[in-house]
Amino acid sequence: MKAVLFLFALVCTLWQCVHAQIPSEQEQHVTSFFNSHGGSTSRHTNNWAVLVCSSRYWFNYRHMANALGMYRTVKRLGIPDSNIILMLADDTACNSRNKFPGCVYASAARDLDLYGDNIEVDYRGYEVTVENFIRVLTGRMDPSVPRSKRLLTDDRSNVFVYMTGHGGNEFLKFQDNEEISAFDIADAFEQMWQKKRYNEIFFMIDTCQANTMYSKFYSPNILATGSSELDENSYSHENDRDLGISVIDRFTHHILRFMEGVNKTSQATMQDLFNVYDYEKFMSHAGVRSDLFRRPLDQTYITDFFGGVSQAEVMSPPLSLSPSSNEGSEPENVPESELPVELDQSLDFTSWISSDTNATSGACTKARREHAECQGVGVDWTSSCSCRMGWE
Amino acid sequence: MFWRNNILAVLLLCCTWCLATSEEFHEALTFRPLQDGRLATRFTFTTLLRGAYPRDPSTLQEEDESQHYAIFPLALGQVLREYAVTELHLTLNAGKWDYDHWGYPDEPGVGTGAELWAWMGESAARSVDERWKGLRNALSGQFCASLGSLDEQRTTSPELTFRPEGSLPQWGTTHQLRHGTLPSEHVCTENLTPFLKLLPCKSLTGIASLLNPHRLFDADWHGLGVHVRYLENEGIEVRLSFQSVFDPVRYSNGRRDWSLRSVFDRVIDRSCPIAHSSEIRVAIPKEETAVAITPDSYTTHAGFVYFNVSNASKPLDISMSWPDEQKFEYATVSSAVPLTHVSVRRTLKGSSQSRGRLSVSITNHMPITIQTSYLESMPWLLQFYLHSLQIYSNGVSRDDLISIVSYIPSVPHVRPTLFQAILTLPPKSTLHLSMDVIKPFLRYTEHPPDAQRGWDLPPAVLVPLLHSNSSTLDPGLSNPPSGFEQLRLPRRMYTPVLLVDLATPDFSMPYNVIIMSCTLIALIFGMVFNLLTRKFTLIRVSPEPK
Repeated sequence: MKAVLFLFALVCTLWQCVHAQIPSEQEQHVTSFFNSHGGSTSRHTNNWAVLVCSSRYWFNYRHMANALGMYRTVKRLGIPDSNIILMLADDTACNSRNKFPGCVYASAARDLDLYGDNIEVDYRGYEVTVENFIRVLTGRMDPSVPRSKRLLTDDRSNVFVYMTGHGGNEFLKFQDNEEISAFDIADAFEQMWQKKRYNEIFFMIDTCQANTMYSKFYSPNILATGSSELDENSYSHENDRDLGISVIDRFTHHILRFMEGVNKTSQATMQDLFNVYDYEKFMSHAGVRSDLFRRPLDQTYITDFFGGVSQAEVMSPPLSLSPSSNEGSEPENVPESELPVELDQSLDFTSWISSDTNATSGACTKARREHAECQGVGVDWTSSCSCRMGWE
Repeated sequence: MFWRNNILAVLLLCCTWCLATSEEFHEALTFRPLQDGRLATRFTFTTLLRGAYPRDPSTLQEEDESQHYAIFPLALGQVLREYAVTELHLTLNAGKWDYDHWGYPDEPGVGTGAELWAWMGESAARSVDERWKGLRNALSGQFCASLGSLDEQRTTSPELTFRPEGSLPQWGTTHQLRHGTLPSEHVCTENLTPFLKLLPCKSLTGIASLLNPHRLFDADWHGLGVHVRYLENEGIEVRLSFQSVFDPVRYSNGRRDWSLRSVFDRVIDRSCPIAHSSEIRVAIPKEETAVAITPDSYTTHAGFVYFNVSNASKPLDISMSWPDEQKFEYATVSSAVPLTHVSVRRTLKGSSQSRGRLSVSITNHMPITIQTSYLESMPWLLQFYLHSLQIYSNGVSRDDLISIVSYIPSVPHVRPTLFQAILTLPPKSTLHLSMDVIKPFLRYTEHPPDAQRGWDLPPAVLVPLLHSNSSTLDPGLSNPPSGFEQLRLPRRMYTPVLLVDLATPDFSMPYNVIIMSCTLIALIFGMVFNLLTRKFTLIRVSPEPK
């Protein structure tokens, strides 16, 4: 009996070794794609974004447009709504002063509507307070607060924190009523580090004297950038004659223009983004703080923070994900990170692999595959599944 | 052996299919052209979960039985089961519903802002207040609205006015009502997005594909509603509705012709395959001017024109035009028959920042006596002086016309006022009701960020109760007086919200005081310290060595 078991084990290990050694051409192709440009050195498995517009009133339209521009960018690059916390202190799109109802524009040419048809604002109006912002970051909230208002990050999450509004030397004004200081944010990030709530943070801030806001950070793995130095103002970019106010700030405008050239599979790095900074365009000295960040900036991808992409492991044998495949042949409990893929160029497979880890379950994965199959009918079967994806 | 196994499996399947709840989805769109050239539209998406039963609150300690839905929205179903809610009504409205020109709305909940009310059974395990808190937070996350701030300072229980619209199951415990209003809540695309995600076909196909936020939020009045109720022999019904009042005269150059393309900027390309019924109804206006409706494939019944969306040829674009009318003429005199049984106007009088006078005038257009219930649920920041309540009808003081049912005075910082009364309105007359109110001086931290704007006060709610010659309150009237037949049975009527201006402090004062005191202390301390400790002495400085 024991001899039989031993022989069986030996055969199994030999079989595994034999099969593991010869990488198929399929695997070589995929591995070379992911490892081109040296591959991403980040250890993150999911992406989150916290976008805060802290100013109220119609004349601060540009701050709302800043935050919405960033919202649209991160959604386009793959972070789903369930992983984005959007805080807007006032209602601009449906404001009675808005000549274009339901629309928020970031340029005077009004070529792109940032509000769109599919937007979820998690904190709005009077709910955008310093207390709620710090509670979101640290995760210390009342048990009745719903999931969509929580930052459910873990120690492998990359978090993009964007703040815009009126600010000054080491403070940011919230709703003209209260202020948050650089020390508060630094302490909140330290709490996040102690509680293992982030892998890396990218902190971007667009206010007057913005660089002072990140001067007090002391936790590791934080990359920070701001729009202006101490005693410098950040300026708006252009006015809209019909709306009667400025629609975008210079710093955010140029960053968004750079981002329009970045897509989900882009290999652009953070150094490319920071090379865009130019005093002639911004009229202020934008700064970067990378001493707390352990990776070199020219090897850190933009999509590590802005996009919802992550690593993928290739398993053999590959299964076809074309819409005609019979769902019965696919095992239902395949873990998300190990989905085998065929390089079907028509399918944007990086979005399949984007780890929406907080909503994965067997039923969700199956429902998402069914969605692709049923797309021709126009019926959305994911209504029975509670996960939310950025693409509908 | 093989066939026996198969038959068993088939029988098992049949049994489970029979026992399982079945779900139906109906969608409808109603158009009603109004007298002032506007167009009232109403989308209704009804999902009926047959055979389902609300959760018994006494089972809240145990694990809930698993729920399987195919069409019924799971997110909403989970919230209802978690807090054992029997009936739920949530409306998010923007604008002012003009009862005098537009008549009664199809859905009665037209109070501006957010209004949430729910009937929940009592439970020893978790109190109704605790579940109310969880419910409003869950809905605030679901619908991206700030419903979490409907705390005990804004919640009341007006059982006379907000009767359950479905049936309340008999569990042996009483049901309680919780009602809260946020009149200053905005409605925008972020409220419509999760609303559409509750529909089985979302906004891809069917009637829901017409919901274009860029047009809906441009309307003169718009409101979305979520209504859940339990019907005794049917099951649980979820009705999602979106009402709006458009102004086609504003879009075109003076003509009130409209079409799906001109109103919503969309047409229906595909019908929703899940919908049991999918129809569009257009009310035919009762006037002499000829009206043309395209396409021709409709049926007519009882003053409405019906289109079946599933059978109609796609893309479906319905239009109504008045070919004989060159330009729409607004009526210069009010119509002969008023559009509602009563009209209400509520104002806050007084220019002082410490007191005011709340004044309500109710006009009865009917030739018979009407009784109406009157509800005021006022936040604590406006306190009533009930002893100063005065009622005048045609210039004569008539205290017998009011009968106060309940009055729960407010407690500052704790609970709002609840005032419910029954008013008797003599025929064809106007009743003026007024009382003194006092405005508080709020604490510095209680002011909202835009304190200079003021506070919005929730609408008052009236429920006209028509009754025949008997003295009992009969909510229906079988023989309405002549000229009023076309009026539907009145349900709740909402007054517009009021804006009260409270005294605001100078918010920069704390900073000024701190700076001033710190400066003074620094100067005084410096002076005193120097006086006490500084001593002038002569020092000989030795000459420098050469």
